Amino acid sequence: MAKETLNNIKLGIFISSGLLILIVSLYLVGRNQNFFGSNFYVRCRFSNINGLIAGNNVRFSGIQAGTVNQIQVIDDTTIEVTLLIDKKMKPYIHQNTYATIGNDGLMGNKVINLTPNMVPAPEIVDGGLLYNKKKPYTDEMMETLSNTNNNVEVLSRKLISTVEQINNSHALWSILNDTTIPKNLNVSLSNIKEATVRINDMSAVITDIAKDIRDGKGAAGSLVADEKVANDMKQAVAHINNAAQESEVMVARIDSIVKQVQQDINNGHGTAHALLKDTMLVSRLNNSMSNIEKGTAAFNKDMEALQHNFLTRGYFKKEAKKNKKAMKE
Amino acid sequence: MAVTDTYSPDDSTAENVVIRIAHLRKQFGTRVVLNDFNVDLHKGESLVVLGRSGSGKSVLIKCIIGLLKPDGGDIFVLGKNIADMEHAEMDQLRSRIGFLFQSNALYDSMTIRENLEFPMRHHLRNLSNSEVNDMVMKTLADVGLAHTVDMMPSELSGGMQKRVALARSLILHPEIMLYDEPTTGLDPVTGREISTLITEVQKKYSTSSIIISHDMHCVKMTGDKIAVLIEGKCYALGTYEELERSTDHNVKQFFE
Amino acid sequence: MIIFMQLRVNVTEFCIDFNCMKIPSSLLGFFNEIGAASRFVSRYFQEVVQPRYEVKQFIKQCFLIGYRSLPLIGITGFIMGLVLTMQLRPTLIAYGVVSKLPVMVSLAIVREIGPVISALIFAGKISSSMGAELGSMKVTEQIDAMEVSGTNPFKYLVVTRVLAATLMLPVLSVLSDAIGLYGSYLGVNIRDHTSLSLYFFEVFNTLKFGDVLPAIIKTFFFGFAIGIIGCYKGYNSSKGTEGVGRAANSAVVISSLMVFIIDLITVQITDVLGLN
Repeated sequence: MAKETLNNIKLGIFISSGLLILIVSLYLVGRNQNFFGSNFYVRCRFSNINGLIAGNNVRFSGIQAGTVNQIQVIDDTTIEVTLLIDKKMKPYIHQNTYATIGNDGLMGNKVINLTPNMVPAPEIVDGGLLYNKKKPYTDEMMETLSNTNNNVEVLSRKLISTVEQINNSHALWSILNDTTIPKNLNVSLSNIKEATVRINDMSAVITDIAKDIRDGKGAAGSLVADEKVANDMKQAVAHINNAAQESEVMVARIDSIVKQVQQDINNGHGTAHALLKDTMLVSRLNNSMSNIEKGTAAFNKDMEALQHNFLTRGYFKKEAKKNKKAMKE
Repeated sequence: MAVTDTYSPDDSTAENVVIRIAHLRKQFGTRVVLNDFNVDLHKGESLVVLGRSGSGKSVLIKCIIGLLKPDGGDIFVLGKNIADMEHAEMDQLRSRIGFLFQSNALYDSMTIRENLEFPMRHHLRNLSNSEVNDMVMKTLADVGLAHTVDMMPSELSGGMQKRVALARSLILHPEIMLYDEPTTGLDPVTGREISTLITEVQKKYSTSSIIISHDMHCVKMTGDKIAVLIEGKCYALGTYEELERSTDHNVKQFFE
Repeated sequence: MIIFMQLRVNVTEFCIDFNCMKIPSSLLGFFNEIGAASRFVSRYFQEVVQPRYEVKQFIKQCFLIGYRSLPLIGITGFIMGLVLTMQLRPTLIAYGVVSKLPVMVSLAIVREIGPVISALIFAGKISSSMGAELGSMKVTEQIDAMEVSGTNPFKYLVVTRVLAATLMLPVLSVLSDAIGLYGSYLGVNIRDHTSLSLYFFEVFNTLKFGDVLPAIIKTFFFGFAIGIIGCYKGYNSSKGTEGVGRAANSAVVISSLMVFIIDLITVQITDVLGLN
């Protein structure tokens, strides 16, 4: 009898463990399919469900939220999908939440993704309809990718022909192979440098002249006191201003030309590149540029000084009073 | 005393008849095993059915207990025709009949105790465990094997197995005992022991018996009356001494 | 009626003349066997609902058939899970979907391998033992002895065994599935590293009722077929040790074949019901 009892206990454990595993398995499977627990339904409509079937997962921002419950064809362009969603997710799903059909991995099952909308909206109700947002499907993506591939092919073919044309262009290669161009460029640059030096000299002369005028030397001093002379002077100053501005523009242009030339040289090949990569030449060019800048700055300073000069100061004050009067009237 | 091709029941002793076999016919395919077999077993009597191997002796007693269905004739057991019996009624009748199988038919997956308890589980369900145990031990003691109660049948010798089988068929205190070749396969000494045991228990349990055998020693010891089965018929019926003196060649050959 | 009698009489001969048609005796023997088996099955359904119920014997058979088969079926399930995982892995790596290993293994084990392998092992162990046990009981007149003792041997021997086989195989199959999936988990961990909870999360994320329930339901049919064929062969075995041997052997062969036939029918039904 004791043996029989022991056997019965063993049998009981055996059957119980089998049933327990079965029940737990069914519960876990059922939980994944939302068979247990409280749920609610929402609907969404698509024109193409791309192989979605009942039982596919529904994810809310990537979190497992429920399953596809039912798929119904409403008309020839509308398919209504009913989703069974865990009630716990209800507060987070709003009426304007987007539903899209996506893939669970590249080769995996279809899945419905619910994406929250940033615009505030009331909470979804049981049986409510969600927005849908068409997402590129894999086959569409593949189609696009195929078009892109075709375009790349066309482009590469054209690129090849362009390179061939460049290779076969005698004119281009004769320019690139011409050794005189860098020399000419070098000469032009040294001319620019000389011009700069001259401008510098000129500004020194102007300084001297201004000094003479301040000292009342020569005809200039007496002319400044005269109103006519003042007007002439005003015009002259405007011209000088213009000249200064134009020289600034010219300097900027020269600067850009230099930069472009430098870039060309850096990217260039052949004899021209070798010649222009001469570091001495570059430093000389830099010096010239700094001289131009210095000259211009000195010229501006001189002009400022001219305004405060006792010869011209009277004219400037007079002009200010005139302006004040006009304002009062 | 040689008998009879035709059956003529002795009405004066009919109330003492526990088994009446009338015009019994049984065939397997085209082979007729029993053909118009007639015999009566009276209360307290021990009838030996003597016949050659394959003559249909075992078929006869299997027809009596209802294991085989006769093709013709009637078998009255304790006054009732078994052909008319329902399953439950047949079960009830079987509890009043003991059957000792030629191969003992002990359940080899059960202990001796479980073997003996087996017939009681159906027929004596109201008994308490101690009463069942008492009956088992007493019956085993009657065949001299009380010590084997918790052994398995495979642990016993052929003779012991036969005794246990006898104890099992006696445990319900049957009114009729059917023995199918009780000494076959046993050595002569053990065969004699079994024959003696059969006569002892017959007296003790007051049973009427039909014994199938071709062991003449057993036939002589156990049989009050002997029926000779030849060609499916009860060829001769009489006491051992009467048949021994028979001049009929077919009968005489058993006693030579 | 006359034709039927003629059929019965001549069934053992080479062939019979049946309305000028020669019907081989093997074909008649086959139909005879089908008819006898059908009667056996219908008797089972009659007896299973009728009282008295052999509850004690049924529980004993559940223990012998179910509990005692667990180690064998458990080991087989474990090895199948492990081997399947290790065999599938290189192919899945080649296709770049090695992360789908739990998905594939769980579907294979739960839907097919678990139930079918358990049933085949069960057939080998139980059907043969039923055939041999009942066959030898028949030969040694134990079945007759039961009948004489007032016990319905069909109810006591056949009904309890078939019912136990029908109910125990699903339990064994579920346990075999669980052990097989654990074996598969270990198989994954031989090369990669995955936590048990993540692995089983993936498994249960894959499985659906349509995968689990038909697989469980078909094991009831497997169990019934294995039990009834084993008992039929044993209960109707011919006399002698050769008959017992033949009963055991044919019980295994036919019940194994029946497992596949039932599997085929089940897959068709589940396909029609849209559960595949």
